[in-house]
Amino acid sequence: MRRLRSAIPALIPLVVVTAAAELAVRYGLVKSYLVPAPSSVLRAMIESRVELLGALLTTSTSALVGFLLSTVAGIAIAVFLSSSRAIQRAFYPYAVFFQTVPIIAIAPLLVIWFGYGMRTVVASAFVVSIFPVIANTLSGILSTEPALRDLFRLYGASTPVTLWKLRFPAALPQILTGLRVASGLAVIGAIVGEFIGGQGLGSVVDVARTQQRVDKVFAAVLLASVLGLALFGLINLVSYVTLRRWHQSEQA
Amino acid sequence: MRKAFDQLVVIEGMDLEIAAGEFVAILGPSGCGKSTLLRMIARLAEPTVGHISIQPEERFQTAFVFQDAHLLPWRTVLDNAALPLELMGVAREARYSAARAALEQVSLFEAEDRYPAQLSGGMKMRVSLARALVTQPRLLLLDEPFAALDEITRFRLDTQLRELWQTRGITVIFVTHSISEATFLANRAVVLQKRGGGIKLDRRLDLPVDRNDELRVDPRLAREMRALLSAMEEE
Amino acid sequence: MNRRHFVLAGSAALLAACGKSPGKIRLALNWKPDPQFGGFYAAPYQSHGLDVEILPGGAGTPTIQMVGAGSAEFGVVSADELVIARSQGNDVVALFAVFQNNPQGIMVHASRKLNSLGDLLKSGGTVALQRGLPYARLLEKQFGFEKVKIVPSPGGDISAFLADKNFAQQCFIMSEPLTAKHQGADVQVFPVSETGYNPYTTVLTTSGDFLRKNPDRAKAMVAAVREGWRAYLDDPKPTDQRMNQLNPSMAPEVFAEVAEAQKPFIETDEARRNGLGSMTKERWEALIAQLKGLGDIQKAPAAEECYRAL
Repeated sequence: MRRLRSAIPALIPLVVVTAAAELAVRYGLVKSYLVPAPSSVLRAMIESRVELLGALLTTSTSALVGFLLSTVAGIAIAVFLSSSRAIQRAFYPYAVFFQTVPIIAIAPLLVIWFGYGMRTVVASAFVVSIFPVIANTLSGILSTEPALRDLFRLYGASTPVTLWKLRFPAALPQILTGLRVASGLAVIGAIVGEFIGGQGLGSVVDVARTQQRVDKVFAAVLLASVLGLALFGLINLVSYVTLRRWHQSEQA
Repeated sequence: MRKAFDQLVVIEGMDLEIAAGEFVAILGPSGCGKSTLLRMIARLAEPTVGHISIQPEERFQTAFVFQDAHLLPWRTVLDNAALPLELMGVAREARYSAARAALEQVSLFEAEDRYPAQLSGGMKMRVSLARALVTQPRLLLLDEPFAALDEITRFRLDTQLRELWQTRGITVIFVTHSISEATFLANRAVVLQKRGGGIKLDRRLDLPVDRNDELRVDPRLAREMRALLSAMEEE
Repeated sequence: MNRRHFVLAGSAALLAACGKSPGKIRLALNWKPDPQFGGFYAAPYQSHGLDVEILPGGAGTPTIQMVGAGSAEFGVVSADELVIARSQGNDVVALFAVFQNNPQGIMVHASRKLNSLGDLLKSGGTVALQRGLPYARLLEKQFGFEKVKIVPSPGGDISAFLADKNFAQQCFIMSEPLTAKHQGADVQVFPVSETGYNPYTTVLTTSGDFLRKNPDRAKAMVAAVREGWRAYLDDPKPTDQRMNQLNPSMAPEVFAEVAEAQKPFIETDEARRNGLGSMTKERWEALIAQLKGLGDIQKAPAAEECYRAL
């Protein structure tokens, strides 16, 4: 009950903005073909619910798979980078490349390599979301307290043991931070991939746009945001379960 | 023996010999290299010139207690205490019973399922101590372990440490800032010079073997403290 | 209520005017500079007393919304877009139709030996088109898309087309096929107008609001554009050079070929009779009926309100 009550302050701006938008469009202050009235967005959602639900499922699957891939690969790459200064200096700049390359530019390339379909969308989600995982995991692994590393050395722990029993658990809060960022990016990457590769919510947005159905565009975008929120919430749940007994971010 | 970090000479010209079973306190102003010395003894660092030798040399004979408890926050008290044995490959049942014994020695056996976040500063330090003792070390190194604690807790842990030393017969090297702590705990006090200049004073402390709280206000303690104080004060 | 409307309209106008110098006219294109806009670049705006800034576009540039919102005084749209916009309450008006006939088509590899769009849609393979466009929905209605894989149109990018013999792609008849031929492909094109769907394309449009407030400047604009297209049709080379600099993605030889190939779409018999860019009520009525039939519009706008002859 207390959790519900604490959600109320967050809902108030949402209600106010939605009501204001509805009135603004109804009274002609804002043109409906630029900003659709919330009621028309709702109507579009109900009208096209089968199509939207199917698209949501498709995009969710692609985003989730892409996100899981970037979690696994991102952590693995970060572990590899953490093994030596020389390796970091040699390879980290290429990891940064994942962050800076504009996905819009390479998405057509992805289509050529992976064809039109889910593989391209997953690849797009992967490319866009992997860097925060790498960066945050690496930072977490490298910032293990020296005293604790000394402790492990004192008792003869090998590098893999130190990595698994010390550095990785210690890095977990930061890894989860990286995953939180990556989850939203995976949804964005999936949608962009779908613009180019054609399916899911991205395709609904693209087609509705050419049909000048702004209400349907907004409906699809809203669902995409809900997807992003859901993924974010999932990470928060994982964070709560794994960290609640020992990390201050999940306490009090 | 000499230790330098790049251009910074931390220890210069040190010759020190410690016998088994001694309780040695190492004192000195900040930056005099006492923490570095301790780490070298633990083989966590190497001297630039010279060497450290421990006779006879055995694996896992040294335990280290840091300034902060440095417990692994995602492990229970029991798992933290058992960590050294776990890293050494000891089986679960064996290491848990050793850990429980160690926790009992520091009066913490009821807390074994708690997490470090739920413990007070003093309790965390006791877990750290238990962790150090769980391998039955021959050599116990402590680097200002009680510095962050309140005075009452500090006095209690001092007494507990002294008792542990007496019952187990280990060699203890205790680095501290506090002259009163050094004189209360140790048989021998080594005062280091400022900025790695070597040993200033190496004094056998003339105090009874059994130490308790009453010693703290004993004039004999004050006499030893005065000697150490003047060594530390003069330039 | 009225006073509040006035204040809000006033501030909206102020906001729309902000960010541009007074009297400046912005013309928003719906693609990168290429021969389909030749006449706009060749037009002698200054000698008609106009200060015109041409805003090149790209994939998805929302020209019709820009004109409706006032962020551009003029925009290039296609006639079906305009009808749909009007039916949604966006008061935009067509003034000059560059392409009298719709140059949209679908290009295929000639080796497939297909005879028509119907053939294509029953032969399998991949067809890249913008599914939301009315012509695509018409094709779906007429022939069905079950036998083919529909993917989004890659814009002007023909790399997927070149890589796969069974790939068909939406195009402008006189543009992408020429580029593909230059890359060695053997290309066949099926015009969309085969299906009877033939909206005016590359249409100069303005908002009803601008037209009411600036009838003289609108007239001057159309006159300048008409002269520009005449000049471009007679000699495209100097304008092509200018546009090629702005858009180096198309080779100069292809520019010239496209400029030549597009002429029959622009200078038709009707255009010769009634003048370049002219439009008829019948064409607009036919288009509106087709869009209503497709379900793309709920309320049919009046044909005579969709365009103005200036």
